[in-house]
Amino acid sequence: MTMSTALRDPIFLTYVGIIIALLGAAVLALRVLRARGKDVTSAEASLRGWLIMIPVIIGAIFLGREAVIIGVALLAIFGFKEFAKATGLYADWWLTGVAYVAISSIAVIALMTDPRTAQTGWYGMFMALPVYVIAVILLVPIIRNRAKGQLQAVSLAILGFVYFGWMLSHLSFIANLPQAYGYLLFLLFAVEINDIAAFTFGKMFGKRKLREAISPNKTIGGSLGAIAVSLLVPWLLWFSFDNFSATELILTGLIVGIGGQMGDLVISYIKRDIGIKDMGAIITGHGGILDRVDSMIFVAPLFFHMVRWFHGAP
Amino acid sequence: MDQWDYKPAPDLEASIANALRDFPRQPDMLIYGVRSVAATLLRGWLRLYHRMQVDGREHLPNSGSFILVCNHTSHLDTLCMLSAVPLRSIHRTFPAAAADYFFTSLKRTLVSAILINALPFERKTAGAQSLAVCSELLKNDGNVLILFPEGTRTTTGEMGRFRSGIGRIVAGTDVTVVPCHLEGGTRAWPKGKTIPRPRKLHLRIGEACNFGHLDASRESVQTICQELQARVAALGETPS
Repeated sequence: MTMSTALRDPIFLTYVGIIIALLGAAVLALRVLRARGKDVTSAEASLRGWLIMIPVIIGAIFLGREAVIIGVALLAIFGFKEFAKATGLYADWWLTGVAYVAISSIAVIALMTDPRTAQTGWYGMFMALPVYVIAVILLVPIIRNRAKGQLQAVSLAILGFVYFGWMLSHLSFIANLPQAYGYLLFLLFAVEINDIAAFTFGKMFGKRKLREAISPNKTIGGSLGAIAVSLLVPWLLWFSFDNFSATELILTGLIVGIGGQMGDLVISYIKRDIGIKDMGAIITGHGGILDRVDSMIFVAPLFFHMVRWFHGAP
Repeated sequence: MDQWDYKPAPDLEASIANALRDFPRQPDMLIYGVRSVAATLLRGWLRLYHRMQVDGREHLPNSGSFILVCNHTSHLDTLCMLSAVPLRSIHRTFPAAAADYFFTSLKRTLVSAILINALPFERKTAGAQSLAVCSELLKNDGNVLILFPEGTRTTTGEMGRFRSGIGRIVAGTDVTVVPCHLEGGTRAWPKGKTIPRPRKLHLRIGEACNFGHLDASRESVQTICQELQARVAALGETPS
């Protein structure tokens, strides 16, 4: 992934075309709706958010592997920060600091080459990293000679690092794969389609609540509709990964459909348990970073390991 | 199993600009890191580019909270004052900055709140409230407040009249005030220029004083302002 390969890559260019067309259509549709007197304020806020996010994401992918890896690390760091601020872990500078350093080190590991195999990205260290980081996190109360409240603090730090740092950072290792353009762009696109499908089908056919104690607006109809759509999308976007067999296309659909909704529900019950509505307010119309990337946290690692299972190390 | 005790940050759902405008700000490790690096670079810049000279560092109190007052000739004043306090107290040093100027756009707010650690002072709309925030700040140990009692940068080079705010904060309290004088600010960074010129800066820190013996009446507030103004002016006339 470099700037010159991006300009010659048909997959990258196709996605840029699709996204520009969709954004154009969305802008147009909202104009028409507003002209007819419909209230589209929240949709407009959401679209404004997209008009900032999409150029940043596409820009990073265009700039290449390094930009994507640094971007993912920033996303993970600020995502972790939101989680830490929401739970109160942020008051503990030691544990927050360890998590920041650990997430930054994932970026370094993803950028460097494997010292044994000379592959791009030190995959073995990435897989082993949670062992070391969890050990350091558990060591912090020992070094500080503290016990009160430490079980809660280290638990939150471990969950925060593994879930928002390590799992999300699988995106960086997807960026290291030869088919990175297709994989990354497909995932970003498919996860969004899955979200939209869940919402739309929920509005149209949703009657029975999916998990009323976690997220009262989600319905079984919406959930099944999203899985159905997500199973279809990989076939429509097969050009993103022409090395995939039918089994892999089906698995990809299931990962996006089920994993995406799981990520959403996990963030929902975390928020509900804490008693907050949004994880932050960094993106206009979208809440916090974690409200936006919640689905990707499950989808990225599951997809990555499926690719590795079928195609092995690159 | 008992419920865990979560303590969400109060500024959780505030936008970036609003979280930074809020005062006192929530401590933030990333912001502290950026500010420490910026403060270190700033010290180097002032020493090399402006050959800044600081006299009277020994007058800065070692404990308790105190106020630094200074004449106001350019934006360099704030930067010089920030560089005069020890690096370890940089996150507890708050230059009072006009909210109607330094906290208007997001860009200015980012610089004012993150790099300068400014206290948004509502000089036009809620002066009394802002003074109360300053007094509250000084009740805690180890805070430093930087004030420019003239209220605005001078255009003529002459020092303006000290406004009553400083007097209202310190009258009848045991808060220490340290008068300072910066020479060379107007030449180094004239109002309206974007880039400072490499002119010499000379910061003189005067002896600390205290106005606990005066009451909070209008007359004593005026006396305090006049005395501080005289002290700052006298520092400016000290031969180097």
